[in-house]
Amino acid sequence: MQFKDQLDFVRQHIKKNKLRVFMTILAATMGTAFLIVLASVGFGIHDTMRKEILDNRAVNEIEVYSDQMNESTVEKLKKRDHIKAVVYRQSMDLQSTISLDGFEGSQQLIITDFKEEGKVGFALKEGRLPKTSNEVVVGSHFAQNLIEPGEDPELPVTYDGELMGKQFTYQMGLYDEKESFPEETAFTIVGIAKEPAKDWIQDANIYADESIIPTLNQIYQANVEEPDGELFYGNVKMYADKLENVKTVSNALKEEGYSVYSIADQLEQIDVFFLAFKAGLVFVGTIAILIASIGIFNTMTMAVTERTREIGVMKAIGASPKLIQRLFLMESAWIGILGTVIAVILSYGISYIANMVLPMIVSAALSEEDLGGLDVTFSIIPWQLVLIASAISITVAMVSGWRPARKATKIDVIQALRQEL
Amino acid sequence: MIEVRELYHSFKIGKKGKEKEVPVLKGLNFSIQKGEIVSIVGRSGSGKSTLLHILAGFLTPDRGTIRVDGTMTTSYSEAERAAFRLSTYGFIFQNFQLMPGLTAFENVELPLKLSGVDRAIRKQKVKELLTIVGLTDVQHHYPNELSGGQQQRVSIARALITDPPIIFADEPTGSLDSETEQDILLLIQSLNRTRGITFIIITHDDTVAETADRIYRMHDGELKEGGVTHAV
Repeated sequence: MQFKDQLDFVRQHIKKNKLRVFMTILAATMGTAFLIVLASVGFGIHDTMRKEILDNRAVNEIEVYSDQMNESTVEKLKKRDHIKAVVYRQSMDLQSTISLDGFEGSQQLIITDFKEEGKVGFALKEGRLPKTSNEVVVGSHFAQNLIEPGEDPELPVTYDGELMGKQFTYQMGLYDEKESFPEETAFTIVGIAKEPAKDWIQDANIYADESIIPTLNQIYQANVEEPDGELFYGNVKMYADKLENVKTVSNALKEEGYSVYSIADQLEQIDVFFLAFKAGLVFVGTIAILIASIGIFNTMTMAVTERTREIGVMKAIGASPKLIQRLFLMESAWIGILGTVIAVILSYGISYIANMVLPMIVSAALSEEDLGGLDVTFSIIPWQLVLIASAISITVAMVSGWRPARKATKIDVIQALRQEL
Repeated sequence: MIEVRELYHSFKIGKKGKEKEVPVLKGLNFSIQKGEIVSIVGRSGSGKSTLLHILAGFLTPDRGTIRVDGTMTTSYSEAERAAFRLSTYGFIFQNFQLMPGLTAFENVELPLKLSGVDRAIRKQKVKELLTIVGLTDVQHHYPNELSGGQQQRVSIARALITDPPIIFADEPTGSLDSETEQDILLLIQSLNRTRGITFIIITHDDTVAETADRIYRMHDGELKEGGVTHAV
């Protein structure tokens, strides 16, 4: 029998029992949709957590510590394989005094390499990057940390004027001395950094290029008779080109004696946890499909019983047992396939609505405008989930139809032909 | 064409453990020639239907052999018997045994579908046969919309569609009135003459039996040749 004729045959039988087949497909649809939607929550939460970590651009970040850290070491680190950028930020262990239009502050000066910063997401809200040693970029909260002196400390007046193009003076001083060094360094603000991704992080720093280092060293040496070590101390953050390479880079650095910290290991643990979590959800969802399979088994058993005489006639005129079995398996597979297709479409709909409505409900319940700035995805249906659910659903449908199909092949022709119409 | 040797069969009756064996066929030996119409006549319970079921491959005999054109069919597996039936046998049943969900056309077409014949060839062959049996007008009717005679004609057309050399007819006129019975018997004779098909008719009706070239009489599980008849 040609495949097309087999399909026609199955279609004709399904048409004859529309209501019963519809109810069975409905049960299969509900079971499969339940599995997909349930597991999609696992995928959604996992994705939200990953996104949250990735938003902090920390996932491929490797913090590197070494007593011997200096410019040449950093240059060597930059040349390693799988490295996207090496950000070497240097600060001074001194107090600082900033003066701008009569307002004062004590923001920290950070010396960095803007080219490397740019590679890993350091972006400006306004302006441009420094071109000369006296040009700086300030953090987005720089102005809020400039206070008018002599005012009530409980109700400070902060600077709310224009920052771009403004000049301010910078003075250094030792923590244990009241007076700062007399030398003032003038800086011009040429850019304002983009606000940090997290609301609770404040960035009031001053970012300057490393070309200012000689000037600051000179001032330091002129005011401190016996300098205690280096003026600058730095921290190095390396960024791997891909998440998969973080481990390789970290291990290599550890072997070379560097102290290394990355959150990729934590992420791996999170992935393992969510893999188990999602597997659990798929298992629970499979139980729903198994319940639906009882309906398929029932429908197929009834179909075989009702068609005993027809099966007998077909066998009498020459239909092989294999063909009879195949026709019934195709019918149960058809129920499974149709149920799965509808379930997938339905699940995407439910997932879309859940992602739209649930954040609103949760926000309303928490009486907050948004979820604390969190971009929460409640449900995600990746193609892998569709594939897994489809495979489970269709397999279960075919297994449910297996026994009735076997029963059909065992029908005795003589007994079947004796049945009344 | 068909050669039956030492064919034995019995049924077990009664409760499990206390079964009683009832012999139905007691060492039958006979042969049927190509192009013959053979009737097997007997009373109810004589074993004629069991013989038909064994010849058709619906039942496996306890002992004995059946050769069809030299091929021993009794050693076939179930799947092989099904394939052999499809290619070699046609069946006409007393209750017509048509598929209620298929039209007359589709019922006749069914064996060709099982054989995997292409749709275009199927269509042409079914149309030809429906013309021969005189059912062109009702080809799209379902069995419950046809008279007994028409249903039996559909059944005959279905039996003929694969051009089988042998057709088994089990009480082919058992559900028909006498006028229609004559029509069907004439059709069988005509098909036998024009197509050279061997007909094996199982009946309890002497009128039907006399249509045959040869009559075998079944009595108490034994078969005796009843002589050559004159065609109706």
